[in-house]
Amino acid sequence: MQAVQRKPGRSVGGQIGLGTFTVLFVLLIVAPFVWLLLAAFKSGKELYSMPVQILPSAFNLQNFKDAFSVQPLLKYVVNSIVVAVVSTVMIIIIASLVSFSLARTQIKGKRLVLLMLLSISLLPPVTILNPIYLMMSNLKMMNTTLGLALVLVAIELPTAAWYLMSFFQTIPDALEESAMIDGANVVTIFCRILMPLVAPGVFTVSIMTFIAVWNNYLFASVLNPSKKARTVTVALTMYAGETTTPWNTIAAAAIVACVPLVIMVLICQRRIVSGMVDGAVKG
Amino acid sequence: MHNKQRLVFGYLALIPAIIVFAVFIVYPVFNTFYLSFCNYRTQTIRQGAKFIGLANYAQMFGDDKMWTALKFTVLFTLISVVLESVLGMLCALIMNRQGKTRALVCAMILIPWCIPTVVSGLMWNYIFAESYGILNFLLQILGVTSQPVRWLTDSRYAFLSILISDVWKTVPYMSLLMLSALKTVDSSYLEAAQIDGANKVQSFFKISMPCMKPIILVAVMFRTIQSFRIYDLIRVLTNGGPQGKTTSLTIYTITQYTTYGNMGYGAALAVLTFIISMIIAVCFQDGVKSKLEV
Repeated sequence: MQAVQRKPGRSVGGQIGLGTFTVLFVLLIVAPFVWLLLAAFKSGKELYSMPVQILPSAFNLQNFKDAFSVQPLLKYVVNSIVVAVVSTVMIIIIASLVSFSLARTQIKGKRLVLLMLLSISLLPPVTILNPIYLMMSNLKMMNTTLGLALVLVAIELPTAAWYLMSFFQTIPDALEESAMIDGANVVTIFCRILMPLVAPGVFTVSIMTFIAVWNNYLFASVLNPSKKARTVTVALTMYAGETTTPWNTIAAAAIVACVPLVIMVLICQRRIVSGMVDGAVKG
Repeated sequence: MHNKQRLVFGYLALIPAIIVFAVFIVYPVFNTFYLSFCNYRTQTIRQGAKFIGLANYAQMFGDDKMWTALKFTVLFTLISVVLESVLGMLCALIMNRQGKTRALVCAMILIPWCIPTVVSGLMWNYIFAESYGILNFLLQILGVTSQPVRWLTDSRYAFLSILISDVWKTVPYMSLLMLSALKTVDSSYLEAAQIDGANKVQSFFKISMPCMKPIILVAVMFRTIQSFRIYDLIRVLTNGGPQGKTTSLTIYTITQYTTYGNMGYGAALAVLTFIISMIIAVCFQDGVKSKLEV
C-alpha cells in the first residue's frame, strides 16, 4: 500500500505542480466573479476609466441604492422567493412520494416510471413552451407567481426525485420491518420513520431545487413578463437601456440576485457535493 | 396484509407526479406536435389553428436561417461537450491527488454552478466589453493584441466568447462529477495493473475508464442535451448576433414565437429540437439503461 501511494504526486516537483494548478484553477473560477463584485462598488467614472481601475476608490453603496430604485428590485426578489419556496415545497412532497414508491415498494412498471422521469429531464423546454404559454393565458395565470411555480414543479421534479431516490435506497429494511411488527401502517412508516431518516437528503435536494427554480429564466421571462410577478433573473436583463449599459447598477443587482445562493451553497457545500456525487454514482 | 397495503400506497404515491406531468409535460408536447402541422399566428389567434399538413416542415427545410441556427447549435454542442468533458476529467484527475486543498476547491467549484446563467452571462458580457473590458485591457498589456478585440460583435470571436462563458460555468461541475466517477474505481485493480507493469496512461484508459464508463456516459449525455438547448447564456451575451451568427435553435424558435408570432412554424422548430434531443439520448443508450435500474 505505502509503495503504491508514494507516487510522483508526492514529490517536491509534483507538490509544486499541484499547488500551481490549485491556485490557477481557483483563480480562474473566482476572478471573474470577484470582478463583477468590484464593479458593484465602482462609480460610473471608475467603471470606464482607462487604464482599468481595479479597485473601487471608496466603499460606495450608491449602486445598490440605484439597483433598488431604477426597478422595484425588492418586489422582484420577493416574487422570486415566493416562486422558489412554493415550487420547492411542492417538489419535495411529490418527489418524496415518487422516490418512496420506486425505492421501497414492489410496484409493477418501475422501469416505465423511471423512463418517464428520465425523458422529462432530457426534454428541451422549448418543446412545451408555447402550449404552456397558451394554457396559462387561458387559465388567466399569466403574470402570477403561482402559475410560474406550478410549471417549474413539472420541470424540476424529475431531477429532485432522482436525487431523493438514492437517499431512500440507503435506509436499511430492518428499520421498516420492526415498525411493521409494532403494527404501524405504511403511511405512518412513510411519515414517521422514513421521512425523518431521509431528512438530510431532503435538505440537500431542497437547496438544489431552490437554486434551479430561482435561476430559471426561460419560463420566467415568457410567463411573467409584466412587473406584477416578474422574477429577479428577468429583471436583471432590464437594466440595460437602448444606448447605455450601467454595469455598476447591473453588477449590484446581480450580486443581490446571487449572493443568497452563494452563501447558502458555501454553508452547505459538503452536503451538496456529496448529494451530487451520490446522485451521479447511484442514480 | 401489509404488503398489499404497501403496494396500494406505492401506486397512489405516483398519482400527484403523474397529474403534474400529464398537465404540464405530456399535453404540451402533444400540443406542440399538433400545432406544428397548423397555421397558427398570434395576429389571428381568434381564428384558431388551421391544419395545413406538412407545410411548416417544408418551410423549415428550405429556411436558410434555420440551417444556420442548426449548424451553429450542433457545432457549439460538439465543441463545448468535448472540451468540457476533457477539461473536467483533467481537473478531476488532478483534484483526485489533492489532499487538504480539495475541500477548498470543491467549495469554489460550486460558485459557477449555483449562480444564475443570466448572471454569469452578464458577468462575461462586462468582461468582454470592447473599449473598457478587463479582458481586452489585459490582452493589450500583455501585448497579445494592439487593437481591442470585438469579442461579442465580431462573428469570428462571438462563438469563442460564448464557449468561454459556457466552459467557466460548466467545467467545475463537470469535474466534480468526474471526480465522483474516479472514486468508484477500485484501487486494487490499479495496483494490480501497476505491478504488471502498466504505466499511468495505460491504466487510466484500460482500467479506470471502463469502470467509470456508466457514470461518465450519463454525465456527458446530460451535458450534450443541455448544451444543445442553449438559450439563457446567448440571450444575455450576443442575443444571437452578430448577423444571426450565434443564433441557437432555441433562440431562433423563440424569435419565431415572439417577434413573428408564428406559433405553427415555431412548433415545427420545437419538434425538430425535441427529435434531435431524443436522438442524442438514443446515442447514449448504455447511459440511459444504467439510469433505469432501481
